[in-house]
Amino acid sequence: MVQAINSTLDSFMARDDSIILLGEDIGKDGGVFRVTDGLQAKYGTERVIDTPLVELGIVGMAIGMAVSGLRPVPEIQFQDFIFTAFDQLVNQAAKMRYRSGGSYNVPMVLRTPYGGGIKGGLYHAQSGEAYFAHTAGLTVISPSNPYDAKGLLSASLKYNDPIIFLEPKRLYRSMKNDVPDEDYEVPIGKASLVHEGDDLTFVTYGSMVPLVLNTVSKNNLNADVIDLRTIMPYDGETILNSVKKTGKVIIVHEAPRTLGMGAEISAFIAERAIDYLMGPILRVTGPDTPFPYRLEDYYMPNETRILKAVRKLQEYR
Amino acid sequence: MDEKEMFVNAYRTMVLARTLDKKIVTAQRQGRVGFYTPTMGQEALQVGMSMALEKDDLIYEYYRDVPFMLHRGVPVETLIDQIMGNSMDNEKGRQMPSHYSAKEYNFMSVQSPVATNLPLAAGAAYAIKYRKKKNIVVTTFGDGSTSTPDFHAAMNMAAVFDLPVVFLCENNKWAISLPVEKQTKVEIWKKAEAYGMRGLKVDGNDLFAMYEVAKAEVEKTRNTGEPVLIEAVSYRMGPHSTSDDPSKYRTDTIPEGSEGDPIVIAEKKLKEKGYIDDAQIEKIKNEAKELVDRKFEEREKVPPPKPETMFQDVYENSNWIIEEEKGDIL
Ligand SMILES: Cc1ncc(C[n+]2csc(CCOP(=O)(O)OP(=O)(O)O)c2C)c(N)n1
Ligand SMILES: [Mg+2]
Repeated sequence: MVQAINSTLDSFMARDDSIILLGEDIGKDGGVFRVTDGLQAKYGTERVIDTPLVELGIVGMAIGMAVSGLRPVPEIQFQDFIFTAFDQLVNQAAKMRYRSGGSYNVPMVLRTPYGGGIKGGLYHAQSGEAYFAHTAGLTVISPSNPYDAKGLLSASLKYNDPIIFLEPKRLYRSMKNDVPDEDYEVPIGKASLVHEGDDLTFVTYGSMVPLVLNTVSKNNLNADVIDLRTIMPYDGETILNSVKKTGKVIIVHEAPRTLGMGAEISAFIAERAIDYLMGPILRVTGPDTPFPYRLEDYYMPNETRILKAVRKLQEYR
Repeated sequence: MDEKEMFVNAYRTMVLARTLDKKIVTAQRQGRVGFYTPTMGQEALQVGMSMALEKDDLIYEYYRDVPFMLHRGVPVETLIDQIMGNSMDNEKGRQMPSHYSAKEYNFMSVQSPVATNLPLAAGAAYAIKYRKKKNIVVTTFGDGSTSTPDFHAAMNMAAVFDLPVVFLCENNKWAISLPVEKQTKVEIWKKAEAYGMRGLKVDGNDLFAMYEVAKAEVEKTRNTGEPVLIEAVSYRMGPHSTSDDPSKYRTDTIPEGSEGDPIVIAEKKLKEKGYIDDAQIEKIKNEAKELVDRKFEEREKVPPPKPETMFQDVYENSNWIIEEEKGDIL
């Protein structure tokens, strides 16, 4: 996935000189995950900026660039460190178009690695998508594989509102699938049905997609697996079509259960398709505790927990 | 403790810290430790500051303060337990390595988001002032951390409210790949004036110089209740962390054992003063190695925390949501 993001940034920067990258250690060092490796050498220090250590400044400056005709791509080294910039995101980026009566907008793609699975402990593993999705004006995306990463990033770099582009760091190196050289886009707001079946619907995204797919194929589950790809605005239509077919839903995410995306999606399904449901809508998620270091494996959803939910739903027919 | 004993003890701590540092880095390469942020190069400034403090002073430290902690008496095994994240760890294995906590020794638990400890130090100092106590607060942070809003807020509030805080900036010249010249246009100690507090710079690689400055400034802060910013100039001799490859971004280094190494500088001065000789140095190094090796093997055998501990300490009293999730997961 690292390679797909790097080459997409590269090809867009080659064509569009309004694209500016800024963040901590992204230039000379190429980013702590090497996502921007080689780009400063190619495009110079004016376009790939190693900033001082201040997330608030990175995001605030990016918003200022964006309203002035540039297309900034700020990087926050770990999503866990975004919170001093939260004010800028919530009160400036998200509300710019609305508060200016549509006369200003913020074409910014904020990239940041998120989620667990690398023994990051409390502050290098959080999944904060719900904070952003809860903010009107922000668009939240999370690719689950290199193909989608390129397609979604390509669409994002043409989008005219602020995007929080959440990169599942666990998949940076482990996920390899074929990424065509030619240009293509994965549309924002469209989910992908990555596995088809009749008995059950899984709704998931990001790092949980490979886990769910593995569980489904290993256990021969006859299930739809929906990879949301865009978390906000999520693709309600694809969810409803599947739920109406299967009548059973399990939502899987790493983020804590309470008020996570699973809560929103369950409410959405309950409102519109409760008559089709044969059993409760279930969630397999991280617990409502901080993210632990040594006991990470107990925090992350896994096959056993998913199968437990599957068995529970099998009681309903 | 007479001066000789005090400095020899300081030197012993520096050697112990260095020995532990190298042990952990090696263990990390062997896959026995998950991650680590080496301290190498910052021993003198931390120990020099520690020498100037009293037992009841409060420390809001950051992730590189192993020598500081050792000098204040934190046992080697406490640090190793944290690195291992085992069931004896003060933090119950919840934090990444290098994020220590030692309440018994008045060390705050370390967080990752840099400089977020600084406003807390101001708050702790306010509590001291409010209760009319005589202890002070020391908070430590890197050069990179001076760019944060937290640094600004803490400096401003400590000055506005006349709070007894020693802001100790451990300027190791680098913030991961960013050199300090690109971090800030002015020297760090000069920022103090803009906030209305004392500010000064010291050679943080020289144990004796550091102690002298720390002693004088700590005394002033204790007597006046006013804050100070000390920039201790040092050098990050190792990588930022075990995940970092400095060859991507820098060529200048101070090799271990070279004349810029704070341990070598200390040895030279200690010998000049007749406080120590080669035989003693050798003995101190051997003792440190023996202790570290022994403790490391011993603590490596400590089992991991029990899974149920993951669900504790979120609140004073757990709630039905967490308990239900615990039941689901375990
Ligand atoms: C708010 C925040 N942003 C980014 C990071 C990632 N990070 C960890 S350490 C570091 C550099 C810190 O440099 P400095 O303050 O000079 O301390 P040093 O590591 O050199 O001792 C960065 C960018 C972080 N921990 N916190
Ligand atoms: Mg530094």
